[in-house]
Amino acid sequence: MMEQKLVLEKQAPSMTFQIKKVVFRVLKNGFLALFSLLMIYPLYWLMISSFKSNEEFFQHPYSLPKEWTFDNIVRAWQIADMGRAMVNSTIVTVAATLLTVFLGALTAYALSRFTFRLKGFLMMFFLLGMLIPIHSTLVPLFTLMNEVGLLNTYWALILPYTAFELPIAIFLIVAYMSSIPKEIEEAAVMDGSGYWGIFFRMILPLSVPALTTVAILAFLRYWNEFVFALVFINDSSLKTLPLSLAIFSDGFSTDYGLTMAAMTIAVIPTIVMYAFFQEQIMKGMVAGSVKG
Amino acid sequence: MQSVLKVKGMLAVTLLPALLLYSFFVIIPIFWSAYYGFFEWSGVGDASFIGWANYLEVIKDPIFWRALKNNMIIVGASVFGQVPIALGLALMLRKSSLFQRFVRSAIFLPMVISTVVVGLIWGYIYHPQFGIINSLLTAVGLESWTRPWLADPSINMYAVAIPIIWNYIGPYLIIFIAALQNIPSELDDAAKIDGADGFKKLIHVTLPMMWKTIMVAVVLCISGSLKAFDQVFVMTGGGPAQSTELLATYMYNNTFMVYRYGYGSAVSTMIIIVSLILIVISQLLMKRRDQEGRGI
Repeated sequence: MMEQKLVLEKQAPSMTFQIKKVVFRVLKNGFLALFSLLMIYPLYWLMISSFKSNEEFFQHPYSLPKEWTFDNIVRAWQIADMGRAMVNSTIVTVAATLLTVFLGALTAYALSRFTFRLKGFLMMFFLLGMLIPIHSTLVPLFTLMNEVGLLNTYWALILPYTAFELPIAIFLIVAYMSSIPKEIEEAAVMDGSGYWGIFFRMILPLSVPALTTVAILAFLRYWNEFVFALVFINDSSLKTLPLSLAIFSDGFSTDYGLTMAAMTIAVIPTIVMYAFFQEQIMKGMVAGSVKG
Repeated sequence: MQSVLKVKGMLAVTLLPALLLYSFFVIIPIFWSAYYGFFEWSGVGDASFIGWANYLEVIKDPIFWRALKNNMIIVGASVFGQVPIALGLALMLRKSSLFQRFVRSAIFLPMVISTVVVGLIWGYIYHPQFGIINSLLTAVGLESWTRPWLADPSINMYAVAIPIIWNYIGPYLIIFIAALQNIPSELDDAAKIDGADGFKKLIHVTLPMMWKTIMVAVVLCISGSLKAFDQVFVMTGGGPAQSTELLATYMYNNTFMVYRYGYGSAVSTMIIIVSLILIVISQLLMKRRDQEGRGI
């Protein structure tokens, strides 16, 4: 009798402890699932709405489309000129990304593999850029570019995009290049390679992981950038996707299916990119922001 | 000697292009706007020197102060919204099971979406007629709570802050998860031996170990909130009646809508000054925390 009671007492608390643990886990995972839904739902709603007719959107704004129609996507491409905006965004984004990676790598090479008097100062000078609020440069950049005739050209976006991304690019690439052992260069010098040879044949290929991260981050930022495009581009044939969306949604504000379809077109490239390079995007964005 | 020259040439060629581009587009504009703040200029014709008049007008304009206050609301929403939410989630998301990784990706997802799209979608979510918030409230019988969220000046600043919180939880979550994973496991064991478990362990062991990271996150919130523009510009444009004006939208509306480039330059300079002050304050905050840490 005594023995039995003892065993029971011993088991009882561990049982409730087990139950508590399970309940806690269910609650926790339920909460996490709900929170994920909160994060994803707006995007999901955007996508399903772009396949609905305007009437259906107003009658059943939250259910799946009864009839999937591509009409909105086609019209967005034609009426809203999303095709043109897509071409502009691609040109500006690709050109600025290439320029950013090239200039970033070149500068980082000097700052990480050489010692010279102004090195510390230059590093500081470049990092300073992360502290400058972009909006405070809009008016002066507008007047400066107006004077040199850059407004309403692709360069009005490519050059400032690159300039403002350089601090993060240089920071990330310098960190990576500094970790490449010195012996590699010494061996290359023995073989008679010059500095350019070392840069193009050794350092650049070895830095590909850092360069990829910089390229992905730059691509996302340029593709989504809005305020420079808003101020520096007036010519409707040069408008990028975010700018077209903002203007277009004003004009066609009651044709929701159409507006949502236009947004879906703009969002898909970045989501595809995220699906492929998730880890790099997360790490890169955090590394860039912590330093800034 | 020749090799020294070679190095110098190499350095010049590698550094100059980036240096010129960066100086011209990032650094020079700051001084340029401070200078143009002293002029009255409509964008065409000659600019006329008017001394401190623009700067004085900025300081005397109540809308400027309202914009500054609204920016502080965004700062507050980020510090007291983003940081605790991200910290709470990080405590639940330390493992790398498939489910946990999925939740993490979902939370980070808005970071890759265009801010214009974020602003437009949330504008629809808040829509008085078909917006999901009012629909949900009606569905659960709280019809009296429904309202035009973005038009009602008593709440629209908070309504505007929520999408910004939603947009930027991701990076804070990743920072906190990394910091949690860096807490040495011996501390966990020690806490267990001392009988600290669950909530007690969180308060006495985990959070103190995280202080430095939390402060970094707060500093990031402060500098990040000053950059807020896109979502608000798309959702409200600073209106109605300038009730959701931020420093950046105030600058935009006073320059490019009414062609007052001199005044806009003065506002730009004020934005720089405000962000410098905030950066200095947050640095001091970090330092004090450091010293206290050493004192203990």
